[in-house]
Amino acid sequence: MTEAKKSEVLQGTLDLMILKTLHALGSQHGFGIARRIEQVSRDVLQLNEGTVYTSLLRLLQQKWIAAEWGTSENNRKAKFYSITARGEKQLAVETENWERISGVVGRVLELEGER
Amino acid sequence: MGNRRGWGLRAFAARVLGLLGYRKSESDFDEEVHEHLQLLVDRFVAQGMSREDAGAAARRQFGNTTLLQEDRRELRTLVSVEDLGRDLRYALRSLRRSPAFTAVAIATLGLGIGASTAIFSVVDNVLLEPFPWKDAGHMVVLQIHDTARGQEDGRQGYTSNEFLEFAEQNHVFDDVIGASEDLVLYKHGEGVEAFDGAHITPGTFEFFGMPALYGRVLQPADYRGDAPPVFVLRYKTWMQRFNGDPRVLNNTFILSGTARTLVGIMPPRFGWFDAEVYIPEAPLHGVATGFAGTTAQWFLLGKLKPGVSKAQAAADATVIANHLAKLNPQDYPAHFQVLVKHLGDSVVGRIEPTLYTILAAVGLLLLIGCGNVANLLLARATSRQKEFALRAVMGAGRARLVRLLLIESLVLAISGAALGVSMAWGGLKSIVAALPPDVIPAESVIELNPQVMAFTFVVSVLTAVIFGLAPALQATRRDLNDPLRDSGKGVIGGFRIGRMRDAVVVMEVAVSLTLLVGAGLVMRSFVALRELHLGLQADHVLQALLPLPENRYKTAAQVSRFFQPLVARLKALPGVVDATESSALPPYGGEDSRIEISGRSHQDEWHALFQGISEGYFRVLRIPFKSGRAFSDAEVTDARKLAVVNETFVSTYLHAENPVGQRVKLIQLETLADPARDPWFEIVGVVGDVTNQYSFGSAQGLQAPIAPAVWVPYTVARSEVQVLMVRSQQTPMALMNDVRQAVWATDSSVALAFPGALEDRINERLYAGPRFAFLLMAIFGCLGLTLVTIGVYSVLAYATARKTHEIGIRMALGAERADVLRSVIRAGLRLVTVGVGIGLIVSLLLGRAIEAELSRSVKPYDPATLAGTTLLLVVTGALACWIPARRAARVDPMVALRYE
Repeated sequence: MTEAKKSEVLQGTLDLMILKTLHALGSQHGFGIARRIEQVSRDVLQLNEGTVYTSLLRLLQQKWIAAEWGTSENNRKAKFYSITARGEKQLAVETENWERISGVVGRVLELEGER
Repeated sequence: MGNRRGWGLRAFAARVLGLLGYRKSESDFDEEVHEHLQLLVDRFVAQGMSREDAGAAARRQFGNTTLLQEDRRELRTLVSVEDLGRDLRYALRSLRRSPAFTAVAIATLGLGIGASTAIFSVVDNVLLEPFPWKDAGHMVVLQIHDTARGQEDGRQGYTSNEFLEFAEQNHVFDDVIGASEDLVLYKHGEGVEAFDGAHITPGTFEFFGMPALYGRVLQPADYRGDAPPVFVLRYKTWMQRFNGDPRVLNNTFILSGTARTLVGIMPPRFGWFDAEVYIPEAPLHGVATGFAGTTAQWFLLGKLKPGVSKAQAAADATVIANHLAKLNPQDYPAHFQVLVKHLGDSVVGRIEPTLYTILAAVGLLLLIGCGNVANLLLARATSRQKEFALRAVMGAGRARLVRLLLIESLVLAISGAALGVSMAWGGLKSIVAALPPDVIPAESVIELNPQVMAFTFVVSVLTAVIFGLAPALQATRRDLNDPLRDSGKGVIGGFRIGRMRDAVVVMEVAVSLTLLVGAGLVMRSFVALRELHLGLQADHVLQALLPLPENRYKTAAQVSRFFQPLVARLKALPGVVDATESSALPPYGGEDSRIEISGRSHQDEWHALFQGISEGYFRVLRIPFKSGRAFSDAEVTDARKLAVVNETFVSTYLHAENPVGQRVKLIQLETLADPARDPWFEIVGVVGDVTNQYSFGSAQGLQAPIAPAVWVPYTVARSEVQVLMVRSQQTPMALMNDVRQAVWATDSSVALAFPGALEDRINERLYAGPRFAFLLMAIFGCLGLTLVTIGVYSVLAYATARKTHEIGIRMALGAERADVLRSVIRAGLRLVTVGVGIGLIVSLLLGRAIEAELSRSVKPYDPATLAGTTLLLVVTGALACWIPARRAARVDPMVALRYE
């Protein structure tokens, strides 16, 4: 897969990925989250790192994550995000949802293929 | 994870809060972004890039910061205009695709909203905010209530002395004004016209805070003895009699013999005391007489000091009234209580329950309409489940779907509201025309105003939210996969319709039965009222007030010198059957007097209504004699002290003894300006009872028990007013001109005031209130019935349409058409029956609430009404079931099965 063929991040899935990242790694700043997604996706996904912040704001508004100011590794001021109990619950629900939907979509695509 | 840009409650709260901390968070964000870019640059540099290249690469990897800012702004603002526009366009498109649904929903909502807007306008303008004055809520009137009498009502006219005593001795009013009625005779080139005039005390206009529209209001200087006589005109009269010509200002008019200058014209909403002309006059101590030599009656209006309650005011006024009662015991009942009433209550008190009953009916109508729309939305949502599931799979969150549906119902509600407002605008005119006279304050203008519009807006938005949200939530709650699998025409078993739709239909039927029962009761009671016999025949009778100039008609003898030739002249006119003088117009029974009957002693006070009449009275009104005879012409001319009484008088005071020859004393006649000495009257005849305790606007007028009544020759004592009644062969108004000529031929300075047909007047006074309720309840009852029919029909039609496939299978397996027909009708009637049961219970519980509105012969549990309305509803319901059932029975199994 060449650089040009990277997939766009499906709308809405970024929220789920960030929740999962915070769930796995604990408190992180935006830069850290972007690195983690980059690392996990192994360059499959084309991520505009800025959109991470939009997603973070959305999650904050739902109170699924919390934020506080702290100091980064190289001693600079940074905002740290962590998942809340509510966020954990949501993560479980959405994970299940996602699996189901992707199942459906998968089946639909298989059907298409049979024709 | 779906699109979380929807309307989650928490996100909503965050957005609201976000609005507050906007700046701070933006600068935080800039810092964060800057930091992130810095870290990326560091990383690229570490990987060996030049600082410049690293900066560009970092920006590329981070993406467009401006777009980001926009995204964030959208998240932080309450509604994204763009999204809303998209949803709106979508909603409009999808509504346009199903025009039948849209039309029925909008019409249904329009009816409900229109009716409730119209009635709320009346309630708001008549009951809630009738007066354009600032402190209207603090303005109260005082009434002397005889505790021996039932109704919470009492005398509210006071002598000058009483008025001044209340005005000066109280501790509870900031200000007190008074007004006293005066019929003003306006003499001009062609003849004499009568105006409703009011004498008003100094400070009246300041009290209301009302400046004049043109010219000026009355000023303290106008009350001085040497001040030139002036007056102020009411807007309505100015428009009607002077065509709104501003040149009449500062002209001089001859009013009741005095040349007065018109100094001001009031604005349209000034109608204090319902007078046409306002004349300055202050009550003076010791001056007790007013119009026609009778006791001046000052109506008192006080403005409560801030913080003073009505109870405190009543207590304070009671002290003064007790003192006055000691000075003038004859003017006060033995046991009385001072009532303090709000100005509005003193005028609208009697129509209030009627209006609230109608408002309640309209509320029910709106509820039925909402039920219909909710059901339509539910049905529609169910058939769209596949569409929703598909959208959800494509990434639309539940919140987004709910918002879409809500916008659809909002569009419906707002269109309904627009339709409703236009219907209300038209309907309001008819309602105002149907309103009984004299029951709404002169100042109130019934129109759609901002409050009413706000009410409509709130009602329609609430309708949309409540009745759109439930279907929306239900429709989107379902699992994503189910609907995709379900063909929507599968066999689910029986004719079970969605439980929620069932519940709505049951609710609708119950509410509409309640509405129908209420309407039925009000209608029956109106019919019962029409069947009551008044005791007289009012048809073909012309009536008019004849205000006699005071200076030349001071005594009863002078009055009779005018009427004797006039009545003789009238009787000679072609087309006139008979004519008479009287001192009261039916359905009023005349003045109240304490009475004595010779040879009878009693503890309690005895009262009777009395009026002065001439010889033709009982013939003109066709009141039958039960025993004895009427007065002869000669007896009237000689002012013989004779009396005719009604049957109630005999049964109340004479215990059915032979009344003829007994003697009755009318104590009131001793207190007149021109008192009758020794007012003992010999009873010569007894007539049938005639309705005589009229009270404004309510059914009470005819229901009130008939009071004992006495008629005496008008020549015995000069009464306050003189009335002329003429029985004619043709329509009474055709005689108008001849009668007027006869009056002027007798005395050219006498005006024929307020002429009209007695029948119209009685209809207006006695039936207008109940007829108003009758009309509106009948209309709303019919609308309710129509709406509920549509409701039952649409639910069943929808259910059967969805089950076409199943019906086909059943019929292929051997089901008869009759079976199908029966099973559909049974499913529908089951709902109707449950609804009717609930409705009956509710009606019985609510029946008590409108008991006061009903005529006494109609009970709130009136079996005929209950049975009739139930039957009507069940038959209509069955009809609504029958049409879809027939359609179902016509299903061709082959077509239905192929129809996949």
